[in-house]
Amino acid sequence: MSSILRVIPHLVGIHIRTHMEYRGALLIGWIAQAIGYAGIYASIALLLARFENLGGWTWPQMALLLAFHLLAYALGAAVSFVQFRDMEEKVRLGTFDAILVKPIGPWTFLAFSGLNIEYGGHIALAIGLMVWSVSSLSIDWSPGLVLYFLAALISAAMLTAALMTMIGATALIWVRSRHLFAIYFGFWELARYPLNIFPLPLQVMMITVAPLGFLAFIPTAVMLGKPVPILGDFAPLASLLVGPLFVLIAMAHWRHCLRNYQGAGG
Amino acid sequence: MSPIISATGVGKTFRQLKRQSGFGGALKSLFSRDYTDIRAVDGISFAINAGEAVGYLGPNGAGKSTMIKMMTGILTPSAGTLSVLGREPHAHRMTNAAEIGVVFGQRSQLWWDLPVRDSFDLNRHIYDIPPARFADNLRYLTAMLDMASYLDRPVRQLSLGQRMRAEIAMALLHDPKILFLDEPTIGLDVVAKDAVRKFLAEINRERGTTIILTTHDLVDIEEICPRLIMVDDGKLLFDGELNRLRASLGSRRRLTLEFATDPGPIALTTATLTADEGAAKHFVLDDETVSLLDVLGELGRGHGLKDVKLEEPDIEEVIRTFYLNKPNLASAP
Repeated sequence: MSSILRVIPHLVGIHIRTHMEYRGALLIGWIAQAIGYAGIYASIALLLARFENLGGWTWPQMALLLAFHLLAYALGAAVSFVQFRDMEEKVRLGTFDAILVKPIGPWTFLAFSGLNIEYGGHIALAIGLMVWSVSSLSIDWSPGLVLYFLAALISAAMLTAALMTMIGATALIWVRSRHLFAIYFGFWELARYPLNIFPLPLQVMMITVAPLGFLAFIPTAVMLGKPVPILGDFAPLASLLVGPLFVLIAMAHWRHCLRNYQGAGG
Repeated sequence: MSPIISATGVGKTFRQLKRQSGFGGALKSLFSRDYTDIRAVDGISFAINAGEAVGYLGPNGAGKSTMIKMMTGILTPSAGTLSVLGREPHAHRMTNAAEIGVVFGQRSQLWWDLPVRDSFDLNRHIYDIPPARFADNLRYLTAMLDMASYLDRPVRQLSLGQRMRAEIAMALLHDPKILFLDEPTIGLDVVAKDAVRKFLAEINRERGTTIILTTHDLVDIEEICPRLIMVDDGKLLFDGELNRLRASLGSRRRLTLEFATDPGPIALTTATLTADEGAAKHFVLDDETVSLLDVLGELGRGHGLKDVKLEEPDIEEVIRTFYLNKPNLASAP
């Protein structure tokens, strides 16, 4: 374990140096991502200005939900999205084989040698929006709530990384897995809105088989003291457990896929 | 001395979905999941001792890369037992990886945008190489592979030959006991191939590093590996000294005689007719001791001979002919 921890900074360092070879592209990427998300949020803000609230959520409350959604996603996706989205190519071109001949866990190598600093734009926008929304809302920040906020954020980031890992790992057996990312992002889009605006079957899906309700809505609702459909009083604990639980499931799935890896071609 | 690698009846079967042709077939396969078992490696046994240099030879799809992948721990054998450095490679993948070096001719392990030295340095941390040993090995490999001029250049600016030398150096920085090379000379020019071959032969001789090499190029085998393992269709065809094989290969030289006009049937005692195109007749020389002069002497004058072509057989053909003629030749070294 200590040897893995010793290698991680070097993996991250080499990836950052690679990005720094193309500084201009990195900076433009950050700005483009931030502008893209800001545009989406502006359209939601405009809708709320017209209708005043969405499922009982005002614009500052929605802004907190959106900021939490973006921050938790960016933190989790930084160690997983691009790395596991590209598993198809890694399997098809045999570059995954080259990782398997190193004395290091392939997940650790992939996650940290590809740590995506391009999420800088997401994180800056999310923190800015969060600071604005928190200053506009009268939240009683007790030490317990601060701890809950941090733990729920980590849990949601873990959930993101776990789901990405599971989808990417599927490529080790099926060779193809990108279509699963399309399904993921379908639910991910829905997770930007209060769960209570959706029909009951979709609400059930978003807290069970596609648990992206935990990415932002449930923790934000808990912080704002809003009712959480289906889960009720179990929501605070569930939002803290879901991340570690899915990490365990993802680890088992990853190991299963690795054991049954067949490669692709010679 | 117990072998460093031992394979006993090793097999690898891939399960492949049966695909049916046409749109209807594609629709049908959505509902019917019939699978076919493809045997990429079929009951292969061999033993390799420390310090040996072994060429693993075969045509495309023969199962060479699959065998290398099993020995390096990437794939799990479906049958038989495989032991590398006394352990099952797949079950102990990381421990095994620390003691072997692997070079893939067609996929780079270097960081494309960064100087070669950065990739080496990352490997130092991954393999936990003590600084002094790393410095010594880097100095030795840089000198041996003539890398000093490009060690600080980004990999993307290197020629294929320079890159391959850097790949080989990176695989040796941690002093592996076994070096696996999967087609290391593919795509290289003559000079680069020569440099790589000379270095590999030297590292095997001087440092005692065991070398397992897959290739299509017989010269690789000739210059690096005294021992040869030949496979086709996943099966072992030949395991032994290169010199023993050479005797068999020599008998397969192809001779083409071109005449001004069709001279009619030509029969030779030193060669077997394989195709008759009238003015062009194709033979296979039966014995490696038969020279072109012997054939021309037997043919004699008066046939209007215009041209003669004597060709060494390409490796895929040799293996196939070898397999068809001597299916039970496999033997211990």
